[in-house]
Amino acid sequence: MLKNYIKTAWRNLWKGRVFNLLNLVGLAVAIACCTLIFLTVFYEFTYDRFHTKLDNIYQIYTVSNRAEGAEVTSSVPEPLTPALKAEYPAVKYMTRSADAGALIKYGNKELDENLHFVDEDFLKMFTFPLIEGNKNNVLSGLNNVVITQATAKALFGEEPALNKTVLLNINNVQQPFIVSGILEDISRHSSIEFDLLVRFEHYPNYAANINAWENRTHIAMIEFNNGYDPASFTSQLTPFVKKHFAPSIEILKKDGAKPNEKGDIFWLDIAPFSNNHFATNLGGVEGNPVNKTYPVSLIVIGCFILIIACINFINLSVARGFTRSREVGVRKTLGASKGQLLIQFWIETIMVCLASMVVGLLLCMALINQFKAIFKSRISLSMLLDPVTLFGIIILFLLVTAIAGFYPALMMVRYKTVAVLKGNTASTKPGKLRNTLLVVQFSLSTLLIICTIITWQQINYLQNKPLGYNKTEVLSIPVSGGLIGEKALKLMRNELKNHAEVASVTGAYMNMGRGNDGSSRSSILGFNFGDKEIRTHIQRVDYDYLKTLDIKLLEGREFNPDFAGDSTAVIINETMARQLGTKNVLGSFVPMYDSVAKVQVVGIVKDYNFRSLHEDIAPLTLTMDKHYEINYIFVKVKPGNLVASYDAIKKSWNRQYPNTEFEGSWINENTERQYLNERRLSGIFVSGAVIAIVISCIGLLAISIMIVLQRTKEIGIRKVLGSSVGGIVLLLSMDFVKLVLLASVIAFPIAWWLMNNWLQSFAYRITIQWWVFALATLLAILLAFITISFQSVKAALANPVKSLRSE
Amino acid sequence: MIKITNLEKFYRTEEVETVALNKLNIEINRGEFVAIMGPSGCGKSTLLNILGLLDDPDGGSYLFNDIEVAQFNERKRADLRKHNIGFVFQSFNLIDELTVFENVELPLIYTGVSATERKERVEEVLSKMQIMHRRNHYPQQLSGGQQQRVAIARAVVNKPKLILADEPTGNLDSSNGNEVMELLTDLNEQGTTIIMVTHSEHDARYSHRIIRLLDGHTVVENIMM
Repeated sequence: MLKNYIKTAWRNLWKGRVFNLLNLVGLAVAIACCTLIFLTVFYEFTYDRFHTKLDNIYQIYTVSNRAEGAEVTSSVPEPLTPALKAEYPAVKYMTRSADAGALIKYGNKELDENLHFVDEDFLKMFTFPLIEGNKNNVLSGLNNVVITQATAKALFGEEPALNKTVLLNINNVQQPFIVSGILEDISRHSSIEFDLLVRFEHYPNYAANINAWENRTHIAMIEFNNGYDPASFTSQLTPFVKKHFAPSIEILKKDGAKPNEKGDIFWLDIAPFSNNHFATNLGGVEGNPVNKTYPVSLIVIGCFILIIACINFINLSVARGFTRSREVGVRKTLGASKGQLLIQFWIETIMVCLASMVVGLLLCMALINQFKAIFKSRISLSMLLDPVTLFGIIILFLLVTAIAGFYPALMMVRYKTVAVLKGNTASTKPGKLRNTLLVVQFSLSTLLIICTIITWQQINYLQNKPLGYNKTEVLSIPVSGGLIGEKALKLMRNELKNHAEVASVTGAYMNMGRGNDGSSRSSILGFNFGDKEIRTHIQRVDYDYLKTLDIKLLEGREFNPDFAGDSTAVIINETMARQLGTKNVLGSFVPMYDSVAKVQVVGIVKDYNFRSLHEDIAPLTLTMDKHYEINYIFVKVKPGNLVASYDAIKKSWNRQYPNTEFEGSWINENTERQYLNERRLSGIFVSGAVIAIVISCIGLLAISIMIVLQRTKEIGIRKVLGSSVGGIVLLLSMDFVKLVLLASVIAFPIAWWLMNNWLQSFAYRITIQWWVFALATLLAILLAFITISFQSVKAALANPVKSLRSE
Repeated sequence: MIKITNLEKFYRTEEVETVALNKLNIEINRGEFVAIMGPSGCGKSTLLNILGLLDDPDGGSYLFNDIEVAQFNERKRADLRKHNIGFVFQSFNLIDELTVFENVELPLIYTGVSATERKERVEEVLSKMQIMHRRNHYPQQLSGGQQQRVAIARAVVNKPKLILADEPTGNLDSSNGNEVMELLTDLNEQGTTIIMVTHSEHDARYSHRIIRLLDGHTVVENIMM
């Protein structure tokens, strides 16, 4: 029986190969897209899952209920961890964590590696398996260093690494360390990534901050005792907070902070570490948390594509069904039961789905590298073999065949035997379901087109908006790897002095945008001025900062080596000046460090966007205060040959620092990097829209083929009666154009709502314009019209005698 | 074998109701060969469809082997049909995607006959219809006469008690048509009841009895000698 079914199924599929190929291509494309999409989403949602105690690990953070809203910070003060461990027995393990670049040296070999400062509990909490060394005491020695296998191999080659002494250059101090453990390389699927681990005591300024509750310098994670319910932990912390954070609370109060409904101005809270990959409010563990909207929109688009493909499948199968009504009639006459016919048609569906699946996966393999490049994804096809994914795929497959196969099969089985044997195959009804499905398809497609246009407009706007400084001709060089910024700046200044293409050189604490080093810094300072608290971003700069970046000076002057007092002078931006609020800000003295020594405002610059355009321009103070390091060197070159200038500067750098990689990048590259997420989203929308439209049009094409078949006689009669070719094309297309129009109208409010919400995340944004909707509709209608034309023109041009005779 | 009493069938569109069968009474005995004749639209095909349990009447009674089947549901009708009735159509209605062998095998599949028995019975009937040499051909590769022979083979393979033929020679030339009529006569002589709708007086002469229909009721019955 089954063999018979498969045999007839195969022959039927072959006979309707044009239809079935369209069907197969549509479904295969959809399957390929969905596989890539769902793998990506799966990847994003399974971050850090390798930690066996994941569900019991929490990150601690602070909340300040400021007048302008609650401010969440994941940075905590140094004494917090020992105090919590001592005072709360529920805390089983707790570790501080901070990172820095460091040079590790063994013999002649020197490597620039990612170093983490952690407490001893770190390796007891997180599942980073040791290959060599003892888990219980691997970090018990103050001068122990734990290294990854890759580092061990790079540094020691085949030589055993355990118990070797290496030299670590941390914050420009070189110290000997003993390799006490070697870890398996860290999965790229981890929020915590490092090459070296040392005790937190080595963290710069550790001793100075040991009792400083007001200096927040690092993050901290807690593991609770088994069986402890962490839900009550936060409320238990209230006395702890009152005891240790009293000065901070006082300052907040003065600043106008209001108690929340529980009466707290400042409190500690915990967030599950398992969610840290999406914790954009906490800034993630290592920075770069992923906004959940990104995987969620991926899921939504994946579902859209799948729905559109299923709709196609249904419409195409129903259409095909008409041509097979006679067969159904004959089979029924010969005694086939409904069940037998249902199974027969369902087997055909399964065969098409299986073939689509195979083609889809092949397509997936062919596209995966491009996909990974475009979406910065780290997925691999081997993830398909994961039991969860495999199970998901099987479920999805069954679901698709059930939805896409069952309805058409049911339709066919329901044909009236007598009618179909007489040759009345064409159903006279316009097919409410078919029209509804078409509307759904085109609604989704139009929605995606609108999203594409709007995200594209916004990104374009972000890229082209003047930021108030020169971003095209300024190169930003991260000073990393334990180089002293000050010294590096001096060396580079000297080195570049004689380069004709270099206009000026300066250094700064914060970068502009996000550089090749991938890190972002900001420093906020609060102080009392008159009767209010002033909060300002601090940017440590060097001479020629304004000149190098072409920042417009409104009043006063730039820092100048000729003025001896400039090391304690500041330049502020307009917003800061407004916040200070006094007349004659220029030249006035401000108590920035709450100390006796006030600093003088020597210049006011025009506001410029020193942060990404997600955020407004905040108060900013430029200072030469040597407490802040120089982390970036900015070099302005003369316009003209930027490539040659880049190479020349790189060469100079390599002459000075042969062991340290040159990571310089143009500032406009850096600012673009701030919108990576947006670009990624826009990429998703574009691909989604293109695929949705293509699959929808394949479906429309097949339906138009069927409609033309059904209406051949009508077309013949109309032509005989004198209708023009144009008239017939219009007649055949109008029905569909109306549906597409309806679909667009349905998509408008949804698209507007979605994109308006998305735009709210930008301080600087475009307004949604009506013509975007018009354009999207026009595009959808045009595509639909062209698709239908293939068939309608052919039908209209056909000789009517032929179609009438065949009846 | 068949007894219909006051059988009625209407076709309705939104505005018009057409009477296809108007209180029709017919009785057909086992082993008879009956021809049904009449002008277009007189209800011949409607009658044949109801007799073949492909369609249900709107009124009256239909006794098949003394069982009232007028109110049977689709499943019961399908069951009765596949075990008792074979169909021969004017347009053959062979399935193009299946070979001669597979077309004939189809009713046996639906009645659940085992594969070995199917092969035996299909080959037997194909030999009888002298079409065995074409067993692996597809319908389009055959002449009209051959196609109709396959269709008859398919109709009889299940050894039905009744064969309903709707203008079986309508699409054939006269020599092929005669061949088909000879086949039907042979089957009838072996005991199968045959009811045939036809326009052709020539074909009707093969039957025992002609029922002439006009506007949905019997006008005259001729007994052939």
